[in-house]
Amino acid sequence: MPTLSEESRRIVASLAHRVGPQADTASIAAAVVSILQDVGAALAPIIGQQGVAALYRRSFHLCVSTHPRLAATYDRVPAAMDLIALKSVLVEQNETDALFFGEVLLTTLYELLTTLIGPSLTARLLVGVWQPSSSDTSSQEISP
Amino acid sequence: MSTKVTINRLATGVPGLDEVLGGGLPEFSFNLIAGPPGCGKTTLAHQMMFALATPERPALFFTVLGEPPLKMLRYQQQFDFFDDAAINRSIRYINLADDTLAGDLDEVLRRIVSEVEAHSPSLVFVDSFRSVVLASQTQHNPNNNLPQFIQQLGMLMTTWQATTFLIGEYFTETDTNPIFTVADGLIWLRQSVERNSMVRKMEIMKMRGQPTLPGLHTFRIATSGVKVFPPAAVNRLVEAPSTFPITRLKMGVPALDEMLGGGLPRGYSLLVAGPSGSGKSILAATFLAEGARNGETGVIAAFEQRPNHSQNPQLAELIKSGKVGLVDSRAPDLSIDEIVQLLLGEISRLNATRVVIDSLSGFELALAPTFRADFRESLSRMVTALTAVGVSVLMTSELEDRYTDLRFSPYGTAFLTDAIIVQRYIEVQSRLLRIMAVVKVRASAHSDQLRQYHIDDNGLQIRDMLPEQEGLLGGHPTRQVSAKTKHV
Repeated sequence: MPTLSEESRRIVASLAHRVGPQADTASIAAAVVSILQDVGAALAPIIGQQGVAALYRRSFHLCVSTHPRLAATYDRVPAAMDLIALKSVLVEQNETDALFFGEVLLTTLYELLTTLIGPSLTARLLVGVWQPSSSDTSSQEISP
Repeated sequence: MSTKVTINRLATGVPGLDEVLGGGLPEFSFNLIAGPPGCGKTTLAHQMMFALATPERPALFFTVLGEPPLKMLRYQQQFDFFDDAAINRSIRYINLADDTLAGDLDEVLRRIVSEVEAHSPSLVFVDSFRSVVLASQTQHNPNNNLPQFIQQLGMLMTTWQATTFLIGEYFTETDTNPIFTVADGLIWLRQSVERNSMVRKMEIMKMRGQPTLPGLHTFRIATSGVKVFPPAAVNRLVEAPSTFPITRLKMGVPALDEMLGGGLPRGYSLLVAGPSGSGKSILAATFLAEGARNGETGVIAAFEQRPNHSQNPQLAELIKSGKVGLVDSRAPDLSIDEIVQLLLGEISRLNATRVVIDSLSGFELALAPTFRADFRESLSRMVTALTAVGVSVLMTSELEDRYTDLRFSPYGTAFLTDAIIVQRYIEVQSRLLRIMAVVKVRASAHSDQLRQYHIDDNGLQIRDMLPEQEGLLGGHPTRQVSAKTKHV
C-alpha cells in the first residue's frame, strides 16, 4: 500500500498532469477545480453531498491555519463548497501561489480522509481521481 | 421430480447465526434487523454483507439518515471481516440522505429502484430504515403512504432477486407496524442489562418457510464480529452408542475405582461434592491424568478466581503438553450456551473423552446475573449436551458441610448426574479427618462404604472404613460400644 508521502507525490503529479504544459493560472485553477469535482464525484454517492462539503470545508480550514500567509488571500472564499468562487480567487494569483495552494488543499483533503477512514480505503475510493486524464470516475469501477 | 420451488439458503458468515435461523438465510427474503441503539444491527449487517457479496453477487448498502457514512466506514473497519478491497467492487455504498430529507417516500423508492436496476445487486441493505419512516412522517406529504411504500419495496426487491435487509431502531416488537407484516424475516437484537452486567441477545421472531430456533440466543461482538451462541443441538447430535457390557474409566485412584464398581462407566456424568479443601480439584486432575496415561485427551473448564495460583502442577503439565485443553474464559457476562460452545469446540479439537468442570460454584459466579435464575436448567442443558457427544464428565461442587442433613449439591442438581461422590470432614480424637462415599452410580452396583482418605504428595489416598466409629455423617462420630461391653 502506498504511503502518505507517496500519495502526496501522486496528487502533485496528477495536478501537474492536468495543468498541462502551459502552466498559467487559468489552467491551474481549472485543474484544481476539476480534481475537486472528481473527488466529489467519487465520494458523494457514498458519503453524500453534505459529507463531501464538510470534508472540503475542514480541508480549507486546515490549509489556511497551517499556512497563515494563505489566510489573507483565501479568507474571502466562501466556506460553502463553492468551486466557482475558489476558481475566481485562484486565477487572481500568480502561477506559483496558485499551484502551491492547489497542492496543499488536495493533499490536506486526502490526509483528512485518511485520518477518518484509513489509508487503504481512502486510496481505494479515490483511485480513479489521480489516474492521468481521468475526469471520468467510472473508470475506477470494475463491472461485476 | 419435485415441482416445489427450492429456496436456497445463504450462509451468513456469522458463527452460530445459520443454526439459529434454521439453516441459513432464505435467498430473496425481505428482512428487518431491529433493536435499540448500540445493539449491533449495523455490525451484523456488515458482517453478512462482507461474507456474502462477490463481484458476481454484489451488495448495495444504502445509508439514509442514521449513522453518517464516514463514521460507519471508520468504525466498521475495526472488524476483521471488513475488506476494503471489496468496496466499489462487490460492495457499493449509496447515500440517500438528500433524498430522504425531502421526506417524499416515492422519491426514496425511485432512487432505490434506479440504483438496484443499475447494479442488479444480490444483496440490498437500507440503514437506517427507521429514519426513512420518521422523515416521511415529519413531512405533510399527501403522497406518503408507508404501508404501500414498504409493500412495494418488498415486492420490487424480491422480483429483482435481491435478498434485502432493512435495519431499524425499534424498541418494542408489540407495536403494530406494517414492516413487521411485510417482512419475511425479523431478527431482533436486544441488550439485557442487570446491575453492571450486559448481555446481548438475539431472537428470530419470524423467518418464513423455515424452522428457526425459538427463544433468545446470546451473542457477543468481538473484533472478529458478531458470534452467536445457539443452544447445543442435543437432538441432532449422535447419541453415544451404549456399549454392553459397560466399559469403565479408571479414576486414577484404584480404591475409588473399586468403590465405583470398577470405575466410572464411560459416558457418565459424575458430581464430586464436598467442602472447601476436601480434594475435589485434586480428584478432578487425577481423573484427567489417568485419562492421559491411557492415551485419552481431556478438557477442563476452570472457573477459579485465580487459576494460575490454584492450578495443580500435574494438571498444568497436561495442559502444557496438549493432552488437556483448557477452557478458561475470562470474558465477563458468560452465558451457558457460550461455555457449552467453547467446551464442545475443545472436545472436538482434541477428540477428548474426559471433561472436567471445576467448579460449579465458580461457574455460577462467572455467569452473567441474568442467567443465574435459570442455573439449574442451564446445568441440565450443559450436562445433556456434553454427555450426548459421548464424553465422561466430572463436575465438582463446593458444598458446605451440614451435619443435620445429607446434601449433594447446593443447586438441587444431584439428580442430573449419573454418579455422585460425596466428601466430608469429620472430627475424631481432636483431628479433622476426611471421609468419602459413593452415593450413586446409575445402573451399576457400587460400594456403600464410608472410607477415610487423606491427601499427600502422591495425591488422594483412600484408606479403610472407620468401623469403630458411628454417626460419621453427623460430623461428630462416637465410638461404637461393643456388645461385650454392653453386657458387662
